[in-house]
Amino acid sequence: MIIAYLRRIYSSFAAHVFDIPSRLLALLLFLLLLCFPMTRPPLSIFVILTYTSIMAIFAASWDLLVGRTGQMSLGHALFYGIGTYVTGLLFYHLGWPLWVTVPLSVLTGVLAALLIGFPCLRVKGPYLALVTLAFPPILTGLILYFRNITRGDMGIWGLPIFFPFVSYFQVYPANYYFSLLLLFVSGIILYKIATSKTGIVLTSILDDELASKASGINVTKYKLMAFAISGLFASLAGSVNAHLLHVANLTSLDIGLSFIVVAWTIFGGIGTIYGPIVGVYILQVLDQYILTQIVRLPTPWHYVIYSVVVIIFIIKWPRGLARFVTDKLKDLEKARDIEERGKWIWKTYKKK
Amino acid sequence: MIEAILVYGAISGTMYALLALGFTLIYGVSGVINLAHGSLFMLGTYLFFALTVRSFELWLLPAIILAAFFVAIVGSIVYRVTIHPVVKDQLSVMVVTISLAIIFQQLMILGFTSNRQAVLSLGGELARILGVKELVILWGVKLTYSQILASVVSITLFAILMIFITKTKIGRAMKAISQDREVAMLMGINTERLCMLTMAISASLAAVAGVLIRSIAGVTDPSVWVHPLYMSFAVVILGGLGSIKGSLIGGLIIGYVENTFVFAIDPLIASILNLPKGGTLSGAVIMLTVLLVLLIRPKGLFGKRIELE
Repeated sequence: MIIAYLRRIYSSFAAHVFDIPSRLLALLLFLLLLCFPMTRPPLSIFVILTYTSIMAIFAASWDLLVGRTGQMSLGHALFYGIGTYVTGLLFYHLGWPLWVTVPLSVLTGVLAALLIGFPCLRVKGPYLALVTLAFPPILTGLILYFRNITRGDMGIWGLPIFFPFVSYFQVYPANYYFSLLLLFVSGIILYKIATSKTGIVLTSILDDELASKASGINVTKYKLMAFAISGLFASLAGSVNAHLLHVANLTSLDIGLSFIVVAWTIFGGIGTIYGPIVGVYILQVLDQYILTQIVRLPTPWHYVIYSVVVIIFIIKWPRGLARFVTDKLKDLEKARDIEERGKWIWKTYKKK
Repeated sequence: MIEAILVYGAISGTMYALLALGFTLIYGVSGVINLAHGSLFMLGTYLFFALTVRSFELWLLPAIILAAFFVAIVGSIVYRVTIHPVVKDQLSVMVVTISLAIIFQQLMILGFTSNRQAVLSLGGELARILGVKELVILWGVKLTYSQILASVVSITLFAILMIFITKTKIGRAMKAISQDREVAMLMGINTERLCMLTMAISASLAAVAGVLIRSIAGVTDPSVWVHPLYMSFAVVILGGLGSIKGSLIGGLIIGYVENTFVFAIDPLIASILNLPKGGTLSGAVIMLTVLLVLLIRPKGLFGKRIELE
């Protein structure tokens, strides 16, 4: 009986993953990332890839809000910063352990998303983009102003780490696996939301808000839902990253973070959820590993090359890298189908 | 205190308006949200610095004009090469322009290091040439010549631009493009070339604003583009995207709000809460003002168009 169950699980898995080339590719990439520590790379790569995974969650959450729902947000670092600072402040003032502070900061992120979602319902298009841009500097100003509570631009240091019980050299691989698991789970949740019925409603808001309103969709509710889900994952990324780096400071509210997430997403393919994850991995590894450790260019050149790559991609392939690959795979699949159908027709013809 | 608020508010208001002028112009004509506006500002300050300090001494006015001219050329080339292919998609335009901003910043770091560089104080030089004291006292408020110069020049540029747009043929063509791009094209207007020209004007306005504003502070560094970008956003949203009158009024409102906060409210809060006073909250107050205005009028004070299709 157990064997029958296992067989059923395997067949459903095969039907959902193996038969769809893009999902198979995603699984292979995930397995590659899972097995990659077997080659015993230097510890610095673990640090880079851990940060990359966290940023991938952040980029995917942005993609759900902007690529799927069309609520153009240029201040997504706000949620990230809220996640970072809530967990940091709870630790600093109350000394709570991280399995309390991380959920609480995620909750705060959701509440903040709902709170700023309300004014954002009224404005549209470029105004929305510019309004959301205004939120991170407001929070930065408040943090700098109340510096006796938040420690201002010094930041909060010494946050607890996730795995205090493993040895010093095992901490980085452990963090790496943890962040990868987190990315896998959040990526699947976000993808499932984006492809579910709710996701279709969100896409209808992106396509034509008036038409979806006319067909009886409560647009306000769905927009707020998109804000809340996006805020949840962004603040999760922020609070987890604060614990991974042991520090909560103002770089988490930086204007650059809000913009670079846009670059990653457009590079990977906006509106696909898996696109930004791929984009983050490629661009981060290009920036942090290839240009820093292999080519050893001075830092300003990294940003120049990075930006030039992003500009070229946007002009040449505006649909993004992930879409490009999935389109090619679909073409292959179609070709295979035609071939098989041709064989089948040939067989039936011969029988007659 | 009230005199200080009135005078400083007017001066910083006109400066913010000049910052936002170029931003709103390029949005109004070609629908581009140019996030590289702040870096064109920064580029202008660096060119002025290089022309007056590094290589050879020029007269101040030719140096400003030369800096503005170079930035205008850079702006129009950049517009043609990178922004024009994606001009229909606003998100792509934003990403392209922010990438351009990062490229400019990093190139300046490579060329001039990330340290601060001293910008020649225009007002100080003017006072030296005229042989008068550097400080002017207006209603008991101390002002430098740089501040007065910035304010006067920005009002003059506003007037010139208004006349240019309403009276000349090219200006009216720009207005036509902003009203309806396709029809303007059908009427025989070369929209692409005019958008490039608009970008050049917008970039040179940013460069002039950069020289004037940074010569008050007296220093420039490669990260100096972020604050002007935020300020031009705030002004432009408040006044309405694409409206020139709106950017002047929005700039003045923001100048007065900021100075009222800095001179009157901030010391009050600091004395009540027993905190050290500093300007860190003024940015937050400006953004909150913008938010409140947008809640009442979602398209800003004078904004008309919300979509460009």
